[in-house]
Amino acid sequence: MATKVKESAAVATASSKNGGSLISDDKLKQLYATMLKCRLLEEKALGLKKMARFKGNYYAAVGQEAAVVGAAIDLRPEDAVAPSHRDFITNFIKGVPLDAMFSQLYGRVTSPDKGRCAPAHCGYAPLNIITPSSTIAAQLNIGTGIALANKMLKNDNIVVAFSGDGSTSLGFWHEALNFSGVHDLPIVFVCQNNLWAESVPLRLQTKVEDISLKAQAYGFPGITVDGNDVVAMYRVAHEAIQRARNGGGPTLIEAKTYRWYGHSSIDPAKYRAPEEVEEWKAKDPIAAMERYLTQRNLFTPAWKQQMNESFGKELDEAVDFAEKSPQVEPIECLDHVYSFDIRGRELDRKTRTPKYQK
Amino acid sequence: MPVSYIEAIRTGLAEEMRRDERVYLIGEDIGVDGGAFKATQGLIEEFGPQRVIDSPLAEGVIVSSSIGAAMMGMRPVAEIQFVDFITPAMDAITQQAAKLRYRSAGTQTCPLTVRVCYGGGTGGGLYHSQTNTTWFAHEPGLIVVAPATVADAKGMLKASIRQDDPVLYFEHKRLYRTIKEDLPEGNDFIADLFHAAVRREGKDATLVTYGYMLQVALQAAEKVGQETGATIEVIDLRVLNPLDRDTILNSVAKTNRLCILQEDHRTLGIGSEISAIVAEDAFDCLDAPILRVAAPDVPAIPAAEPMEQFYMPNVEKTCAALHKLLQY
Ligand SMILES: Cc1ncc(C[n+]2csc(CCOP(=O)(O)OP(=O)(O)O)c2C)c(N)n1
Ligand SMILES: [Mg+2]
Repeated sequence: MATKVKESAAVATASSKNGGSLISDDKLKQLYATMLKCRLLEEKALGLKKMARFKGNYYAAVGQEAAVVGAAIDLRPEDAVAPSHRDFITNFIKGVPLDAMFSQLYGRVTSPDKGRCAPAHCGYAPLNIITPSSTIAAQLNIGTGIALANKMLKNDNIVVAFSGDGSTSLGFWHEALNFSGVHDLPIVFVCQNNLWAESVPLRLQTKVEDISLKAQAYGFPGITVDGNDVVAMYRVAHEAIQRARNGGGPTLIEAKTYRWYGHSSIDPAKYRAPEEVEEWKAKDPIAAMERYLTQRNLFTPAWKQQMNESFGKELDEAVDFAEKSPQVEPIECLDHVYSFDIRGRELDRKTRTPKYQK
Repeated sequence: MPVSYIEAIRTGLAEEMRRDERVYLIGEDIGVDGGAFKATQGLIEEFGPQRVIDSPLAEGVIVSSSIGAAMMGMRPVAEIQFVDFITPAMDAITQQAAKLRYRSAGTQTCPLTVRVCYGGGTGGGLYHSQTNTTWFAHEPGLIVVAPATVADAKGMLKASIRQDDPVLYFEHKRLYRTIKEDLPEGNDFIADLFHAAVRREGKDATLVTYGYMLQVALQAAEKVGQETGATIEVIDLRVLNPLDRDTILNSVAKTNRLCILQEDHRTLGIGSEISAIVAEDAFDCLDAPILRVAAPDVPAIPAAEPMEQFYMPNVEKTCAALHKLLQY
């Protein structure tokens, strides 16, 4: 099996520029708009976090929007997403209502998980987004099982499974890719290589420079993409998704990108050189797309302004909704453990009714 | 015609696979080879490699792929060849399967069955003899069962497959071919997944156990009865998580004496929890301190026979404990 490594993003973008574009103008604009909204959404979340409006920690993907949007924008509701800790925005891209997402941050009764998971760990059953655990890479294996079921059920739904560079060191990561390869499963692995796993740089994570190489060991294509080029990401993901849908098996897409901020909202990220951060900020995927759309006469500042305003309003409304939503009842702690209720079991224990006197 | 424990498992699987095409099997060597103990022998011939999947040697993905498939409506039955090798699947079982329903507030669930071969006394040595049921009994969200009879081997397996929760089904390798029973036939034969069973009525002491140790418990109860005239009530837990407290408490309320027999080592085992339940809820019923017969707290079961015998709870050790309990 031929394994493509490193299709240059510039080529992907250039070829779409040269007349016969595979990507419609509307799609290009949608890619931009979605990235912009993801950015606004996460900046909003971080702002709320700074003001301590919700508890817990937030893991922002700011700077990585192209990788996530390009991979997830065309998914159908039936397609599954296996998100990692930094993929809160996959929910938005897939169409989860903002009210539900902000309720998740606030852990309110209106959140999809009714206040159980950490703020950024959002799943959504109606759109087949796995509610993530925090175990790095675990979502890949569950996603693999969903892909196995899709194959057994003979439907053409696929799975997009996200992971980071750090996750590739775990056994789980390799078990998932290996199994998916053996069974030609309809799954696309998107590894966002942002060069850091918390404070650990890529060179301490793996000896190879391109993570996409690892796909060779599992017998399916691996491709490295400029993860800050949303058009390149979209083209590559589109092809991988088609392949998966048509029974062609898995693909590993390595998106080289960078997180602008700390690992989480409490991490000042002192371990990175400021120059490195600045260098990557200059490669802002949203600004790059703005330039590209401008070249193609598809962008006006007024359009952006209008989106900033209208989406800003939507965000404010969602925040308001979340803040006004009720807290969960304490006793709900006992719910959803099994398919049957255990409230009675625990409560009897509490009152210790003297049922068994001699 | 009496059938063996392992035949009960095999026919239970086959019946469920015929009844429901969403049921499939996955595990190491379960296909062409029919499994390390031949529990799945002949099933690949009937159901094909799509439903009897010879997995890669990777317990993690055996269980975690089953979780994903179960989320999509399939009914996977994963096999762990020896519980000693379940640790690569520990995250999948305890962090994923046990918590998926909880973490999604009931919107995502994984009704899967994990068949786990366990138990010592066969000279298997450190890594082919362990019990480890306690690891999973400690995890809310999992149902953990350990059938001790042939009827339960079949009935509880079928019930596990139909249950809308992740179930760990512990099958003792020493029961596979040592016990036989006549079984009712047909699809409708499924067993209860929630209650312990009184396997022998008695009024002078309660002996609680599970799995292979039921054989030991019944023999010890008989022997002590002959020696002392006392009647020992034997409770087979059947389900280790969630525990059926009432059956235990009702029995202790009647007999006023409690001994727990477990193959697992002592510290923080099932016996510890049962002792605590009885101490908390039936302290006034007790006429004697609670006793436990358990394996010693060593890392695993040595292979050499003298040490294996030292390790394993047996009839003799159980009788000694019962005598002590009755004489207190
Ligand atoms: C199995 C496991 N080990 C450690 C952690 C703690 N942890 C959370 S995220 C993370 C780094 C992940 O790095 P990477 O996969 O590159 O993703 P990124 O954070 O860069 O998006 C660590 C160590 C965890 N959640 N799970
Ligand atoms: Mg990283």
